[in-house]
Order: sequence, then structure tokens, then C-alpha cells
Amino acid sequence: MLQNYFKIALRNLVRNRVYSAINIAGLAIGVASCILIFLYVKDELSYESHFTNADRIVRVAGEIKLASQEANKFSLSPAALEPALRRDFPDIEHVTQLVQERKQTVWYKDKSFNEDQLVFADSSFFHVFDYPFVVGDPNTALDEPQTIVLSEEMAARYFDDPAQAIGEVLKFSRHSYKVTGVYRDPGHSHIRARAFLSRSTHDATLDEEERTNQWFAMGRYTYVLLQSPEQIPVFQEKMDAFAQRHVIPWIKEHESDASMRFVLQPLRSIHFDTVYGADMTAPGNISYVYIFGAVAVFLLLIACINYMNLATARSAKRAKEVGLRKVVGAFRSQIIGQFIGESLLITLIAVVLALALVQTLIPAFNSLTGKNFDSNFVLQPEFLLIVLAIVVFVGVVAGSYPAFFLSNFKPADVLKSDQAPKGGSASLRRVLVVVQFTISLIMIISTIVVFTQMHFLRNRNLGFNKEQIMVIDVPGGDSTLVKQLPSLRQQLLSNPLIEKVSNANDIPAEELSKHMMLAELDGKMAERTFQIMSVDYDFLDVMGIELKEGRNYDRRMKTDETEGVIVNEAAARWMGWDNPIGKRIEYNDRDLQVIGVVKDFHVQSLHTKVEPLVLKLRPQSAGYVLVRLKPENMASTVRFVENQWQAFDPKHPMEYFFMDEHFDKQYRAEAKMLTVFGYFAGLTILIACLGLFGLASFTAEQRTKEIGIRKVLGSSTSDIVVLLSKDFAVLVLIAIVLASPIAWYGMDKWLQDFAYRTELNWWTFALAGFAALLIALVTVSFQAVKAASLDPVKAIRTQ
Amino acid sequence: MNKVANIIEAKQLEKKYVTDTVETTALAGVDLRIAKGEFVAVMGPSGCGKSTLLNILGLLDSPSGGTLTFLGQDISRASERQRAKLRKQNLGFVFQSFNLIDELTVEENIGLPLAYLGVPRAEAQRRVEEAMERMGIAHRRSHFPQQLSGGQQQRVAIARATVSNPSLILADEPTGNLDSVHGREVMALLSELNEQGTTVVMVTHSPSDAEYAHRIVNLFDGQIVTESINARKHAAELL
Ligand SMILES: Nc1ncnc2c1ncn2[C@@H]1O[C@H](COP(=O)(O)OP(=O)(O)O)[C@@H](O)[C@H]1O
Ligand SMILES: [Mg+2]
Repeated sequence: MLQNYFKIALRNLVRNRVYSAINIAGLAIGVASCILIFLYVKDELSYESHFTNADRIVRVAGEIKLASQEANKFSLSPAALEPALRRDFPDIEHVTQLVQERKQTVWYKDKSFNEDQLVFADSSFFHVFDYPFVVGDPNTALDEPQTIVLSEEMAARYFDDPAQAIGEVLKFSRHSYKVTGVYRDPGHSHIRARAFLSRSTHDATLDEEERTNQWFAMGRYTYVLLQSPEQIPVFQEKMDAFAQRHVIPWIKEHESDASMRFVLQPLRSIHFDTVYGADMTAPGNISYVYIFGAVAVFLLLIACINYMNLATARSAKRAKEVGLRKVVGAFRSQIIGQFIGESLLITLIAVVLALALVQTLIPAFNSLTGKNFDSNFVLQPEFLLIVLAIVVFVGVVAGSYPAFFLSNFKPADVLKSDQAPKGGSASLRRVLVVVQFTISLIMIISTIVVFTQMHFLRNRNLGFNKEQIMVIDVPGGDSTLVKQLPSLRQQLLSNPLIEKVSNANDIPAEELSKHMMLAELDGKMAERTFQIMSVDYDFLDVMGIELKEGRNYDRRMKTDETEGVIVNEAAARWMGWDNPIGKRIEYNDRDLQVIGVVKDFHVQSLHTKVEPLVLKLRPQSAGYVLVRLKPENMASTVRFVENQWQAFDPKHPMEYFFMDEHFDKQYRAEAKMLTVFGYFAGLTILIACLGLFGLASFTAEQRTKEIGIRKVLGSSTSDIVVLLSKDFAVLVLIAIVLASPIAWYGMDKWLQDFAYRTELNWWTFALAGFAALLIALVTVSFQAVKAASLDPVKAIRTQ
Repeated sequence: MNKVANIIEAKQLEKKYVTDTVETTALAGVDLRIAKGEFVAVMGPSGCGKSTLLNILGLLDSPSGGTLTFLGQDISRASERQRAKLRKQNLGFVFQSFNLIDELTVEENIGLPLAYLGVPRAEAQRRVEEAMERMGIAHRRSHFPQQLSGGQQQRVAIARATVSNPSLILADEPTGNLDSVHGREVMALLSELNEQGTTVVMVTHSPSDAEYAHRIVNLFDGQIVTESINARKHAAELL
């Protein structure tokens, strides 16, 4: 019997090539997209899961609230937290802290590289996070001061073989570190480190007070390993009393009216956390996981709808077979089984094709998403299970409606010699086509809105001129460089193609630190946190930031460094200063007076609002050297800068980038995701149109005789095309009406994520609707024209 | 006539078709008994309810009124599943338009009832072979229906109807689409089957086809108007 079903199914597939191709192609594209999305989603959700203790590790985040200000949220916490937690909670297994080190130049023999993602840790870190070691003992590797554990990747830059690294000494600008281990970076963690340096080296630079009692010095990540996941809420409850015990007395001592609390973040939630920020890696976005999950389901659904529509539309052709099988005694359940089996077979063929498609698309998908999927994932049993699930899901979803519909035929009706039954419920097919086009339209509209917003972000006036600024990234901590900066500046400025040179510790699109200060409010001093940038005299000029009032820092004013401060408009507004010049700010025990206010400029991506900012003069800031170039001959000017730099500092490999690219990089991950979304939107409409093409050809076929008669009676070809296309156009119009409010709602929500956003335009919707209508009509009229140009005599004769 | 068990007993059979607004009465109180081994022809003008009657007798459709007893079992209210079961065990159908499955070969078409009966492969193959031999179509075994003439197609249909050795064969105008030569051939086959013990009920327009039957039932407007014994046939049988 199975063999019989199988033969029938295959012969039907071959006999109706066009329909089979449409179904199989649609399903294959849908399934392939689904698999790719599955890989992406699984990858996003797999963060931290490779750590044995993942479920019972928490990170302690901090919130500091100053009187009338919203709480400032930090993923970082103070050094004092670690000893206090150990003392108060002897039953927690481990507490460990990480401190990030700035980018450094590292020397070994004749090799030198600038290395970032350097992290201070101690051996307890490896008890909490089981990093796989290639060589060395994680239990003791970081016990001694001035020891370092390298990632395989970093080790490979200096040593031929990880084993050779052990015992060797790497030279940093301030210290030297002995290599005690090499680990394999497991990836998929919010912690990303090229190397771990022994934290005792760093802690030695702190005094007792800083180590144990500076509660607002949010400089470290604190992780706690609890005995069980159930302990997390219990422990969280205890944290409030903990803050009361330790932090409040300290705040009182400082006569502040601030308050502080600690929040435990389960390790696996950190990758998607956007509240606390400041991570070693950019956070993922859980909404993209949901969106892509939905897109996968939609794509499959649309492909399934094609199958259902074409199968029922063509049911007339199978009616006789069903009737006959019933005549010879088939049960209804057997017929249902046969048709579901048939759709499973088609799905299976589609899935095999989809797997081949995925194999070929993986490299492109990798470069699109920036992920690193291995193309032999196919062999994983877990994956095969998913594929099986897809086959069963699609086979049953797509197959069951036609199966129930077809198996319901009464043999007495369908075997009548004179007439064939009509092909199923046309109104249901219309509903399904509307569903398909509604989904497609929502995706098209979203894509247009998304790209409008991206364009808006790229082209918005940032309040500074990001073009033609070459930024040299100076590896930190080399004090000899600072002294030589003025002479470097002179040499650079000797080139007429270089307009200005500045040195600063902070630049846009880099994480800024927030500091607590006292600022004048209604004649009194109030505690406030401000973002802070350390800059030199030329920063505003190089960046093209405009002054709103007051003046820039001036080399001739000796007091600027110790008494002057420049703030942005947002800060002045926030403090309610009508006349900001002369207002007082107290910071680091220094009394400062506002000498200038700059117009607001964007330090961060346009997701966030411009925050109150203090531009503090520190002429010796040497994190970055900013060079404003004339637009002419930029390549040669860049080479000139490189040469000057090499002569000036032959010891450090030079690294530079351009400000515009650097700023736009903030949107890169997002832009990638959105591009992927755009592709999937295109695929949705493609699959929907495949279905429409099939349906249109079915309708044309069914109406061949009618068309013939109409032509005999004098209809022109174009009349016929209109006649056949009209019905479908109405369906697409209904879809436009349905899709618009849904897309409007969804995209408005998405745009709310941006502090600066485009407005939704009616023309976006009109454009998308018009495009969908056009595509649908082209698809349909292709069939309509074919039908309309048939020889009428022939058309009438064929039944 | 000795007391023969009835294969079918219909009492006051009624069938109404209801479509949107119109109600058509296709059968209006039909009483009919078919004895085992009989050959009955049903005749009457187009639209008088012949096919409807045959479909109900063949358990393809259920009556709207009256009772139907099949092999002593009342099946007027039987479920579709029960009727399907009775069909595959006891009935064979032959239609005017052959109704072969286009995607299956001759051999596969004939084997279909056996597949639903769950007859083992080897046994099924043997019986299909036998049926093809009997109908003289073995040389066409792997042809598809469209590659055969009408007469050949009807022989395949008869082979399919008989392959499961049914006790009753229902034929709805089996010669309607055939020329007279092929028509006679088909009638000869049905007649031969009947002689071997199979009960046959056949709808026909052709008086010459009706000649093969023992009994002729005339239907008009959903009612039996006359029933006549085919004397010649009876005489032949008694010899
Ligand atoms: N499925 C149906 N729906 C509605 N009316 C039907 C249906 N089948 C048959 N009829 C009507 O029932 C009557 C008897 O039909 P039928 O049994 O096919 O006649 P015959 O086979 O004698 O030509 C006719 O008037 C026909 O129109
Ligand atoms: Mg009839």
C-alpha cells in the first residue's frame, strides 16, 4: 500500500511539474531560511551555556541614586564589594572580580603588538568560570603577581607553540608578566579576554581605603558563584540589608543624600541586558531573537499556505482517485494518511534541497551576520532532530487541510461521469492569499522603515563634524609619550594639509565614564553624576563642536586647567542654569567655574539621548591623537602622519581609524541584523508570489473555456487580463489595509528604541503597498496574458 | 425456485437531494430484493434514479428513508467506516466511464482493492495475474489507462471489480461508452462471472444488454413501475 501511495505521489509530482516546482521551491526556501534563523537564534541563546556553573553564577550590578536624579545603573561594582561579600556570606562558594585594562603595547623579543581586551583576574575566577586550559594549571596560574594567562589566539602571535609560552616574559609598558598558562577562548560569553593578568598586580596600586571602602568607585565586574540556582532570589533579598550595613554608613560619613543598591544578574541573562550597559562585548538584542523567530515561522507558514492552496485548487484532479479508493473500500483515515504522507514526501524533498541550499549559503550568511557557523552542523543529532521536527510540522500543517478536504469527497458525487467537482473552497484560498500578502507587506513596510531610520541615523547632524578626522589610538600608560606630544603636534602641523591636532582621552562612540560631582543648584551645591570627557585645548576645533556661549579653553589662561570647566547644553538645561557662565562645579576636591557651554553633540549612538556632559581640560590626555585633515590628498597626508608617528615613536605599532567609520560602527551589528531581515522580507514576498503564480495559472486553466467564449463574443486580450487580475488585485488591496496598522504599530514600537528617530510616513505604506500590488499583478498577468492569447476555438474545445 | 438467501433487501427506500432551495426526490419508496446468484438489470429513462439506487445498494451513499439489509444485516444507519469495510469485502463496481486511476498502471489499478484488504503481496500478485489473464489484458500490465482503448479500460475495470472475489458486482451503464463489439464483450464477461456464482446488478439503457439478465426492473421517477422475468435466460438456465 505504501508503495502504491509513493508511486502515485511521485507520478503526480512529475506530471504536474510547475506545481511541484512551486511547492518544492517555496518550501525549500522557507525551510532553508528557517534553518539559518534557527542557527542564529540558537547561537544567540547559547551564551555562557558552556560554563559548567552557568546556572548558579550571578553578576552583581550596582545602582546609585542621587537625591532627585534617576538611578544610575552600572554593570560594574566597587572593589570593596568582594571582601565584604566574603565576610558576610561564608556560604557562597566564590566571589571573583574582573578589572579591565586599557589597550597596551606588548613586547616579546623582536615582536610587538597593541593588545586590547586585557583583563585583571585572580585564580578564583577560573573556579567560577571553567575556561579550558591548553597548558598550565588554572588553580594557581594567577596566584603570583605579574603573571599572565594567554588566549590561544594571543599566544600564537608571540609563540609557535603554546607550550613554549610557559615561563616566558611579556613586556608591557609598566610591568612585565610571566606566562603561566594558555587557554582556549570558549567564545559565546559576555566576557571576552585576550589575556588574563594577575589582579594582585593591579590591586597593589590601590590603597587600603580604595580597596575596602570606596563604595561609589564602580570599576570592576563582580561575579558570585552560589550553591544552587535557587539561591539567587534568596541572596538578592539579603543584598538590601547588605547595602544598609556597608554602604549607608559610608554615605552618611560623606554627608551625601545618595543611596545604593545591588542587583544580581543571572549569568545567562547578561548577554541580552541593555539596562546596565558597559560590557566587554556588545550586548545581543533579545527582540531580534523574537523577531527572527517569528520571521522563520512566517516564512514556513507562507510556504505551507502555497501548498494548501495549490493542493486544494487542484483537488478536482484528484477527486476521481479519492472516489475510486473509497469505492474499493478505503477508509477515510487511510485517505487522510495518504495525502499527509504525500505532503511529508514533498516536504522531505524540499528539506533535502533546503539543506543543500543552507550548505552553499552558510559562508554568505556568516559574513552577513558576523557569526561563525560551521557547515557540518548538519551532522549534529540535535540538528537532525530539528529538521525532523520541521518536516513533520510542515508536512502535517500543509498536508492536513488538503487531506481532510479531499478525503471528504463522496464517491457517488465525484464519480459521476458527466462533471468534475469544483476545486475546493475558493474563499478559503482567498483568505490564505490575504494572510500571505499581509505578512509579506508587514515585512516590506518594516524593511523600508528600518532602512529609512538607518539612513536618518547616518545622516543626522551629530553636532560635530565626523568627516576627515584621523584618530590615532595610543596604547595607554606610556608616560614618555605624553611629554613628547607637543613636538609631535608641531611636526604634524607643518604639513599644510593638516588643519588641527588634538589629544584627548575620550572620543565619541567609546564608553564614557560617569562621575559624581557637586553642581550649583539654586545657589546651593547638589550631588549630580555627569558624563566626563578629558580633552585638550584643540579638541573642540578639531571636532568641529560649536560653542553656544562663553569661550573655549585657552593656553594663555593658566587657571583653565585647575579652575575652568566646559559643559554641554544638556548639562546647563538639567541644572536649570539660565546664565551658565560662572556657575560652580566641584569635582575631585577642586572648585571649577563654567567658562563655556558647547552645543549638544552626540557622543553615543542615536539610540540614547545626549546626556549632561562635562568636558574637562587635561592637556596631557594621551589616549587618542586626533588629526583633522584637509579633504585633498588624504591618502598621502595619512602616510605623512604615519611616517611622523613612526619616527616619533618607533616602539609602538601605530593604529589609526577614521572618526566617521568609528562612529558608524556602532550601528554595524544592528545594520547587519536589519540587512538579514531585509533579505528574509524579500524571500517572503518571493514565496508568496510563487504561490500566486500557481494559483493564477490554476484559475486561468479553470476559466479557459470562459475566456474562449468571451473572446468569441469580442473581448480583447486586455479585457481578459483585467478580468483575471482584478480578483487578485482586490486580495492584495485587502492585505494592504490589514498590514498597514499592524506594521505601523510594530515599527512605532521599534523606533521608540531610538532617542532620535524618523517619523512614520504614509508614503512608506503607499510605496510598500504599490510595490506588492505591482509584483502581484506582474505575477498574475503573466498567466493572464498567456490565457488571454489562446486561440478561442481551441479554448472552447478544451474542457 | 428454491429458497435462496437474499443478498440485498431494500424496503421503501427514499432518497432526497437538497441543494440550496431545490429538493429533488431521486427515489420515492423502492422495494427490491436481490437474491444470491441473480443477474438483475435496472432500466429507465435518464434522471429516473437508477444511479442513485445503485449507489445506495452499493453502500456508496446512504438513503434518506427506508431500510436496507445487506447479507441479513441492517445497514441503513451504518457508519461510513462500516460501509467501507463491507464494500471492500463484498462488492465490486464497474462504471460507465471506467474510473481507473490515471497515475497507476493496469496491474496497479487491479491490485488496489487487494491492497486495502491487506492481502499479502505474493497472494495479491497471483490474483492480479489471474484476473488479467481472465480479462485478456496481461500483455498491457504496465500500461497506463490513457494508453488503452475504451474496451480494454473497461476490462481492466472489471478485473479490478472481481479481483477480490466479491459476492456482488454493481455495474452502472458498463457499455455506455463502448461500441457494440466491445459492449458485447463486456456483457459476455459479466454474464460469465454471474454463471460462476457472482450476483450482478447492472444499470443499462440497452435492451440487448438487458437480455443477459434474469430479471429486469423498470424505474420511473424514483419508483419501480414494472418488474419482469427474462424468460429466455431462465429457460436457458433451467436446461
Ligand atoms: N448529488 C446530487 N445532488 C442533487 N441532485 C442529484 C444528485 N445526484 C442526482 N441528482 C438528481 O437525482 C435524480 C436522479 O439522478 P440519477 O440517479 O443520477 O439518475 P439516472 O442515473 O437514472 O440518470 C436526477 O433528477 C438528478 O438530477
Ligand atoms: Mg445514471
